[in-house]
Amino acid sequence: MTQLPAPIALLTAALSRLPGIGPRSAERLALHVVQLDPTQVRTLAEALIQARERIVRCERCGALTESQPCPICGDDRRDATLLCVVERALDILSLEKSGTFKGRYHVLGGKLSPLNGVGPDDLRIAALEARLQPEGVQEVILALGSDVEGDATSHYLAKRLAPAGVRMTRLAQGLPAGSGLEFADELTLSRALEGRRAL
Amino acid sequence: MPVQAGPGKVENRRIFFLSAVFEAPARKTAASGKSSVRAKVRHCRWVHLAQLRLRDFRNYRQADLAFVPGAHVFLGHNAQGKTNLLEAIYLLATLRSFRGVGGAQMIRHEAKGYFVGGTVMGPSTHEIKAYWAPRERRLQLDGRAIRKLADYFGVLRAVVFCTEDLLLIKGAARGRRRFLDLLLAQTQPGYLTLLLRYTQALKSRNALLKSPRVDEAQLDGFSQELVTVGDALMAARQMIVPRISPLVRLAFRRIAHETDELKLEYAPSVKGDFAVALGNARARERAVRTTLIGPHRDELTLLVNEQSATLYTSEGQKRTLALALKLAQAEYLSGIHGSPPILLIDDVMGELDARRRAGFLPLLQHSRRAGGQVFMTCTEENWPAELGAELHRWRVDAGTVSPAPK
Ligand SMILES: [Zn+2]
Repeated sequence: MTQLPAPIALLTAALSRLPGIGPRSAERLALHVVQLDPTQVRTLAEALIQARERIVRCERCGALTESQPCPICGDDRRDATLLCVVERALDILSLEKSGTFKGRYHVLGGKLSPLNGVGPDDLRIAALEARLQPEGVQEVILALGSDVEGDATSHYLAKRLAPAGVRMTRLAQGLPAGSGLEFADELTLSRALEGRRAL
Repeated sequence: MPVQAGPGKVENRRIFFLSAVFEAPARKTAASGKSSVRAKVRHCRWVHLAQLRLRDFRNYRQADLAFVPGAHVFLGHNAQGKTNLLEAIYLLATLRSFRGVGGAQMIRHEAKGYFVGGTVMGPSTHEIKAYWAPRERRLQLDGRAIRKLADYFGVLRAVVFCTEDLLLIKGAARGRRRFLDLLLAQTQPGYLTLLLRYTQALKSRNALLKSPRVDEAQLDGFSQELVTVGDALMAARQMIVPRISPLVRLAFRRIAHETDELKLEYAPSVKGDFAVALGNARARERAVRTTLIGPHRDELTLLVNEQSATLYTSEGQKRTLALALKLAQAEYLSGIHGSPPILLIDDVMGELDARRRAGFLPLLQHSRRAGGQVFMTCTEENWPAELGAELHRWRVDAGTVSPAPK
């Protein structure tokens, strides 16, 4: 096989760095893009840059947002006494779709993973502690995945946050064991929220 | 070094490095008139391997074989690739080699990766495709990529009889734990998931113990997980040993015709409460930097006349014992699933005297009645005259397989 022209190879390499895109689909996408109408490509490029430039992390909760703070943190009607801790910003979307939760969120940015070198300092745990008193949080709901690392992170947080004196709960085991929130349907999630239990 | 791989890749790698095997469908209910009828119906719908396809596997560049139910024997001189065929079938069933080697050793010399495919016929037909290369692993069932083991295991069940079985008696406890794990994974839904969770909790915990400054709070988080899952593993092992023990004893008697009293005992490494024991071991763990107690240190003790079989039996007795363990495994699986597993018999018959061979026969006869499948290897046709007429013979010669004339 002859080599791809350099610009296509460059585009392929850039695309294959995206999650879920292997070398083959990257190449397919690249070949598709170079055959598109130039204005269409410009629109795509523009959208990519715009999205990246306008989206920031909410300084308070860590959600992806256009405004600072994010609409949820800025909404006075949300219950400030309830704080739901999730692994990733994406998980907020899943929980919001279930429509059951009226409190606020805190994105941890991952979970404890000794095998991947992720420790407590790599997660937004200090930021979480700093929110408890000023915001008058009374209950922290841990909505982490139910895999080994998610569970261990929950155990860890329960212990670390204990001195703060807030009620600690976690989602009921309605979630399929070993999976993250993104695989749970809305019904499962709202049930899991209702059935949360103390830690 | 942190592992840099997407979730899918990690999952795939885990599938191929598993120490344990299938998740089985729900167990058969107690025998009533009705269920025995159902069992008979199931017997007629034999699960068997109808096709085996190899590419760059061991010494096979390409092999496409079709098998009917019944007994098959691979004949040929040494080092022609007879055992490799059994290894490939076992791989389809368990995703690992019974020779205790990794994927790299199964790739044909100078090839990039191996492929093993199979068609399993039974109540429903399944297509299995497994490709393994140092940097690429693919497992497909019926054209769909398998991401969770539970979606795969149980498609094909196999029990292998090979010379390595002797290690069950002579070798380290690890082999005996693996024997128990395999049996549990083949019969208890959910056991495999527990085992994977335990392994991950254990590895995470050990990684923490090896770090320069151990974070006690973090360690505690993983300890809780280790204890919860570990307790469930121990309960399952505690349950199965008394069930398998009489089967092993019977098989042993049948083969050995001796009055020796054989017993299997489960000896968990944790005495008393796991959480408490783990706390007590903390000081010693600080010195050795690894998790010292838990199901990963359990032992399955084999006692002959109340004495350790590992230490106090003759070589011949050890062989008989190993065979008895495997026979019990096959019988336990047949009993629970209502149909016999595929039996893979690698040249062990050559080593057995007539009496021990005879002990094998009930299992082979049951397999035949139930429409099961047996694959054997032989250097020369010295066995088994007892099955002679009904054997399907194959000639194996330097990586080629062809039907042999009667
Ligand atoms: Zn926010």
